[in-house]
Amino acid sequence: MSSRILLIAAFAVLAALPLIFGTFWINMVINALIFSLAVFSINLLTGFTGLLSFGQAGFVGIGAYTLGVLTKQGTPPLFAGLYGVLLAMLCGFLLGLPAARLKGHYLAIGTLGFGILIYQLLTNSVDITRGPMGLIGIPTGVIDKQTWYLVMLAVCLTLLAALAYIDRYSALGVILKMVRHDEIAAQASGINVFAVKLIAFTVSAGFAGLSGALFAAYARFLTPDLFNEQESFRYMMMAVVGGIGSPLGGFVASLVLTIIPEGLRALGEDNYRLLVYGTMVLFVLWFLPAGIGGLIERQRR
Amino acid sequence: MSVLELSGVSKRFGGLQALSGISLSIAPSEVLGLIGPNGAGKSTLVSCITGVLRIDGGVIRFEHRDIQRLSPHQRARRGIARTFQKVRLADQLTVYENVAAGLASRWFSRASGWSSVFRPLSAKSVGQAVNRALEQVGLGDVSGTVVKSLPFGRRHFVEIARAMVSEPRLLLLDEPATGLTETERERLAMLVKEIGASGCAVILVEHDLELVGYLCQRVTVINQGRHIFTGTPAAAQSDREVIRAYLGMNQLISEGADDARG
Repeated sequence: MSSRILLIAAFAVLAALPLIFGTFWINMVINALIFSLAVFSINLLTGFTGLLSFGQAGFVGIGAYTLGVLTKQGTPPLFAGLYGVLLAMLCGFLLGLPAARLKGHYLAIGTLGFGILIYQLLTNSVDITRGPMGLIGIPTGVIDKQTWYLVMLAVCLTLLAALAYIDRYSALGVILKMVRHDEIAAQASGINVFAVKLIAFTVSAGFAGLSGALFAAYARFLTPDLFNEQESFRYMMMAVVGGIGSPLGGFVASLVLTIIPEGLRALGEDNYRLLVYGTMVLFVLWFLPAGIGGLIERQRR
Repeated sequence: MSVLELSGVSKRFGGLQALSGISLSIAPSEVLGLIGPNGAGKSTLVSCITGVLRIDGGVIRFEHRDIQRLSPHQRARRGIARTFQKVRLADQLTVYENVAAGLASRWFSRASGWSSVFRPLSAKSVGQAVNRALEQVGLGDVSGTVVKSLPFGRRHFVEIARAMVSEPRLLLLDEPATGLTETERERLAMLVKEIGASGCAVILVEHDLELVGYLCQRVTVINQGRHIFTGTPAAAQSDREVIRAYLGMNQLISEGADDARG
């Protein structure tokens, strides 16, 4: 009961944040919230189902560029966003067809290759994406940051709750985790492992695509560099620091890991801050191998 | 009337003929012992029945239907459940969650529809089935325990509960007595009897021949991939080919059978 009150209090504080901080910080938190959707996509795919993916930025890019390109051609942003999510899911499905048969390093390399492929496509399809020149002035309208913040918070918390439900309480959660732990035992229990993996790829790509579409709508400016493999690694790092199977941990980690590097700018503009940042991440993993989610779990017990 | 019928089943791995022309059948409620020396092909046969391996020749019929083309999960949904020689459980999940996973073969059956996977694990239909299975194997008290913290012997019973929760018509037990204490072995023997009595056919692959002699009316002996004997455990001891293949084993069987009678 007390934890529930604590949770409500935390949400109240989160919702009131824009009143306290200035535009700079709100901007950053909105970005972090958008990132957290991509982190959720890793929680679902890698955390629950055990499929390592280093190509999530590719799906984010597909969602973002679909919205960007279509709205510039006159599609209403809401539909463009929907198409972005659907296209990302279709790509997730198509990638899943071969990738669901791969394991371990092979899967990691396969998905990494997919991410690089999408990045190259975005860079070189100059006719459509304007390539490295970037897609500027995406006409999604100017919405004030407070509203954006509250919308993003609502989207993130809804998806967070859905994932937490699946993880903890639903039959589906057990099915996904069975596939992660032991495919042979999962099959013997009547689980179609291949289908489960394919669905996990598809839905996870949808989350990442949504993250991208929201980013495009918010930033109204895209370049391919925002979706290269380094971004995939960043999402993966956020998920790992958050605790790979914990969406709540991933949510906290994406906020913390976005805000801290900016806060460290107080140390000066040179690269010392990255050193401090890297050391902090190392220490988190050293003392909390199960990430922030593991810490939350320990407090709960 | 048989649940499972194998005729002329063959399996080859490259140059090695792992199974050649195995035929056997098992009736509802029957507990069939499957024995043979190491490397005889027992595990290969189990894998062929459950669909992990595809056979090269012969026919496998389950409830009078040819199941050769079905994949392992489809066979599980039809009612073939199994346990593993080396326990395969999700260590970080609770006993309850592991057993609930066994219900997947029902969740994915056509009757229940896919939407049933979104229902909560605590739903009545799930809870009743899981708790019944846990009671049956004597693990009702540890349903909330994480498997990792259970003693090894009890994990075998979690696997049996996971297999039984979907109410299969055929249960394959792959060396279930390995690593069990004396008390647990007795518990296992009682449990297998109960499962048989409930109408489920059981194929028991086991090295513990005393247990086989006690539980099985019939045993099938295979050696080097060939079927060499099917009959009562007592008759196996006097079969010359069995003695030749498996020197000394017949003695153990007779002792087991005598214990059971005495």
